[in-house]
Amino acid sequence: MATTITKTETLVGKRIRRKEDPRLITGTATYVDDIQMPGMHYAAILRSPHAAARIRSIRVGPALEHPGVVAVFTGKDVEGIGPVPCGASLPGLRVPYHSVLARDRVYFVGHPVAVVVARDRYIARDAVDRIEVDYEPLPAVSDPEKALEPGAPAVHPEWPDNIAFTYHQEAGDVDKAFAEAEVVVKQRIVSQRLIPTALETRGVVADWRSGERSLTIYSSTQIPHLMRTLVAQALGLPENRLRVVAPEVGGGFGSKLNVYAEEILMGFVAMKIGKPIKWIESRRENFLCTIHGRGHVDYFEIAGKRDGTILGLKLKLIQDLGAYHQLLTPAIPTLSVLMMPGIYRFRNIRADIIGVFTNCVPTDAYRGAGRPEATHGIERMVDMLAAEIGMDPAEIRFKNFVRPEEFPYETPTGLSYDTGNYAGALEKALEVAGYRQLREEQKKARQEGRLMGIGISTYGEICAFGPSPATPAGGWESATVRVEPTGKVTVLTGASPHGQGEETTFAQIVCDELGVDMDDVVVQHGDTAVVPYGIGTFGSRATAVGGTAVYYALQALKEKIKKFGATLLESDDVSFSGGVCVCNQTGRSVSLAEIAAASYRAAKLPPGTEPGLVSTYFWEPPNFTFPFGAHIVVTEVDRETGAVEIKRYVAVDDCGKVINPMLVDGQVHGGVAQGLGQALYEQAVYDENGQLVTGELTDYAIPKATMVPRIETAHTETPTPVNPLGIKGVGEAGTIACSPAVVNSVVDALSPLGVRHIDMPLTPEKLWRLIHKGGQA
Amino acid sequence: MRISGAYTLPADPERAYTLLQDPEALAASMPGCRELVRTAEDEYEMKMNLVISSIQGLFAGKIRVADKEFPARFRLIVEGDGKIGFMKGEGVLTLSPVDGATEVRYDGEVQVGGMIAGVGQRLLDATAKYLIKRFFEKMREWACHE
Amino acid sequence: MIPQNFEYEAPRTLEEALQLLADGSAKPLAGGMSLIPLMKLRLAAPERVVDLGRIPGLSYVREEDGVIRIGAMTTHYEIESSPVLKARCPLLAATAAQIGDMQVRNVGTIGGSLAHADPAADYPAALLALEAQVRLARAGGERTVAIADFFTDVFTTALEPGEILREVIVPAEAPGTGVSYQKVAHPASGFAVVGIAVRLRRSQGKITLARLGVTGLAAKPFRALAAERLLEGSSATEADVRAAAGAVADGVEANSDLYASAEYRTHLARVYAARALRAALQAA
Repeated sequence: MATTITKTETLVGKRIRRKEDPRLITGTATYVDDIQMPGMHYAAILRSPHAAARIRSIRVGPALEHPGVVAVFTGKDVEGIGPVPCGASLPGLRVPYHSVLARDRVYFVGHPVAVVVARDRYIARDAVDRIEVDYEPLPAVSDPEKALEPGAPAVHPEWPDNIAFTYHQEAGDVDKAFAEAEVVVKQRIVSQRLIPTALETRGVVADWRSGERSLTIYSSTQIPHLMRTLVAQALGLPENRLRVVAPEVGGGFGSKLNVYAEEILMGFVAMKIGKPIKWIESRRENFLCTIHGRGHVDYFEIAGKRDGTILGLKLKLIQDLGAYHQLLTPAIPTLSVLMMPGIYRFRNIRADIIGVFTNCVPTDAYRGAGRPEATHGIERMVDMLAAEIGMDPAEIRFKNFVRPEEFPYETPTGLSYDTGNYAGALEKALEVAGYRQLREEQKKARQEGRLMGIGISTYGEICAFGPSPATPAGGWESATVRVEPTGKVTVLTGASPHGQGEETTFAQIVCDELGVDMDDVVVQHGDTAVVPYGIGTFGSRATAVGGTAVYYALQALKEKIKKFGATLLESDDVSFSGGVCVCNQTGRSVSLAEIAAASYRAAKLPPGTEPGLVSTYFWEPPNFTFPFGAHIVVTEVDRETGAVEIKRYVAVDDCGKVINPMLVDGQVHGGVAQGLGQALYEQAVYDENGQLVTGELTDYAIPKATMVPRIETAHTETPTPVNPLGIKGVGEAGTIACSPAVVNSVVDALSPLGVRHIDMPLTPEKLWRLIHKGGQA
Repeated sequence: MRISGAYTLPADPERAYTLLQDPEALAASMPGCRELVRTAEDEYEMKMNLVISSIQGLFAGKIRVADKEFPARFRLIVEGDGKIGFMKGEGVLTLSPVDGATEVRYDGEVQVGGMIAGVGQRLLDATAKYLIKRFFEKMREWACHE
Repeated sequence: MIPQNFEYEAPRTLEEALQLLADGSAKPLAGGMSLIPLMKLRLAAPERVVDLGRIPGLSYVREEDGVIRIGAMTTHYEIESSPVLKARCPLLAATAAQIGDMQVRNVGTIGGSLAHADPAADYPAALLALEAQVRLARAGGERTVAIADFFTDVFTTALEPGEILREVIVPAEAPGTGVSYQKVAHPASGFAVVGIAVRLRRSQGKITLARLGVTGLAAKPFRALAAERLLEGSSATEADVRAAAGAVADGVEANSDLYASAEYRTHLARVYAARALRAALQAA
């Protein structure tokens, strides 16, 4: 036997550089638009310039006559396919038929009307301009509250009230709580529409092999397997004749947790023309036609006692759904209701959701998906209650937190919080920020006439989606770990990471379990022909659920490794660690590579054991996980201009056990940046006629690197018992925590002027008007 | 978008009123107007090639005059449609004599759609004012020359 | 980028370029920071583009006879980092440093920016305060125009069809001139919501020269003459600064958009005028 070296260094918990990054930062990664195929054709889509209109006629002749154009398809050509699927179900939900191309009406600006197929993308785009559509414009409605008014234009004529669904949830005795309250505070809070703005827009390549009768769709998606199931249904194609590949995906933030008309349409086109087809979304299309996030108008009422005890919460939630249901559209506000109690102990809640159709692009999951809205609401209401009774915002939180000994904690909305130490996270944040001293500085600043604010947000979130009974499409995740004959390790994960870094974190888990080097591990994902099945990456689930599947696959594999090791060492008493199988009696050992080679050579199989070293595990989580934390933001508002400056940003996050602190910090940074975007800059504005007037990056402000302050990160670590790794998830935490911390801070800054609430985004003009017009907007 | 303002034309209200509804004067004054055809009483169709710096767009449009009260006021309804977007405007023009000339006040609503609405909002206000100014300047020239 | 079809010409001499542009139908391309995005959106669809980027000798900063000559194809970065400008015309260098972002400053040119005449561009404020001149060239001729006469309206300049801007001429400043460019950058586009350029000279406690250029506020950039008059001859006390800043928008019809209403923009112009004046006074 060769000399074997036992590897003792462990990698979980270490700051390991990302395996993904070299290809991403050297421009050598393969995105959808990098795919080239012989005979490839290109599609361009004609989209409605009207928010609501009847289509009187479409003349495609001039486009077809354009040299290089191969085909033009309109709504009547695609009647046999579709609809665009909605995966959410709620009692009484009205689901408009969502055709792949508009039929006799258009419902929002950007609604696809026709697709042109041509030899190259320039010809395709030119030909789009040659299609003549005779529209009869109709009145449109873009504001969800106006859509509820009597006499408002009906988005879908069959439902003149524009209501897609209502949803009620109640627990405890809300009326009694409000009757007994010493203080009731009411506030209307808007969580504005946001445009997810992934760096890579969407794109689809579809390739039909007529001989094999099989279709391959390459799409910039977060959910290749679900897409295969749903697109196969929409195309009437057997699922085993469709392969979906998510190549490198340049960000999604939930906007690619969807099945769009274009994926179905390009599959259809490829089968029609018998050539590979490519469609790449422009940034303008991305703004108009890829889902938006948020879109809430929330009416909150909080009841409390003068000692700071919260007694109950009421919420009327108006959700702007847009014109259609995309994959999860109507389900998103129900997540807000689930998380409405936050991390506080009160038991009396009542929530009513009204889902409203508008002539706008649909809303759906965007980083946080329902939880930022809930956290923003409860964190604003707690601050307002504190202000009303003259209590410090930290103190009122300490008073109402669920306590460490109360876990698992059953919430009034039916969740079971796994673990938490909410007071611990806030204490740490106060300590890092130097809270007492900050309050002293604030006193001084106020004496000098400066508008300095300190804002706290303490959040809890629901992550690691999730147990299958509580999710629309299954909440498990799959992993296959294969030790190749040479001892190299291949991991197949059903989670479809797209920038989060699981190629690194999963490799870390493998390294610790099998004693191999990072360079020996390749993590593959995003291809339905490679990975057995999977759910995808969203809802901060990939590591907590997908990583756990990898862990369990490794445990089964290790048993098999030991069996082969025992056979090679001719002993029943062996152990495996650090990449080496050792006979406990003789001390003789064999390496993993030797075992792997023997397992495939299969000259001598252990009794009852198959050849090879492959293990697949589908892990079903018993519960969600519930990360938490506390963010503190110090701001100063320029009295003359209303401009907000973030002076300090302290983020304390507890995401359970940490596999790679560098990646966790990166997730917090990115999350906070997007939270700052909502708090200070971003707003998708539709005018009253349904035109998206923030239609490009020249008007829609996302935070640039220079606009993000230094973020002081710190962590507490409270493992979850939900999975053996103790990990909870961190992808959305920064976004969820950030916006209420910023708004609480700015409201605190302006509170001497009588300001008690400000809706996002906190634009300078809005604040200037508050400052100069006596605290009233 | 609400637009309002006032310009002075060197003519008495009667003549200014007639000029502002005269197809020839309108064709000469509408920015980028290439063709203006009367299609019915008080209704015209027009083709425009609007050029503002690098931006250029062909529009097909309609002009309609309504609620006529000679020589004090009338309503002007303008619609234009092109590949880069569409616009619909409706406003009341009020004419009053000022020192031998006529002050024309306009007050209306303009709705803009398509690409120009989606990417041009930063400049719509200034551009609309510019186009109106060009219209009245041309109309003033016309009034002087005729 | 998927623009409409266009012919592309890349002449090697200015004369050749002017010939190609002579009939006014072609569009000159400088850095492309405005033209290319417009073509990408198909808001601009020129049939022919004449790229000035291959013509040698249009990118320079030279001091001669008390003035500094800047070639039209000089990039914003070259202007912001030019030792000549930093020493002898710091207002222009400081203004260039605040344009857009690093990528834009590496590619965008002063000539292209001025000819495009976006009402929220940064340079015009500084050039108005500097009382700069621009040299315009056409096939077989040339003329020099004062910057104040160059901008005529929103996106509209004194350039005739077939004419290009080939050089910007700014004064080489006497030592002791106080300057400042203060800008509110739009958080999305980086354009100036308002931008104020100030240039002051002081002698024996009195302001002898005051120039204020304003961009972003109105359809075209302008000099705030009322504010200048209030300052010149004054001792530039805080009260004088406030009075002058208060007059910066006098007689101006302010722009309005989603980000800033006309009222707020006007207010910002006054606040930033005061800030720019205070900063310039520090140096004067």
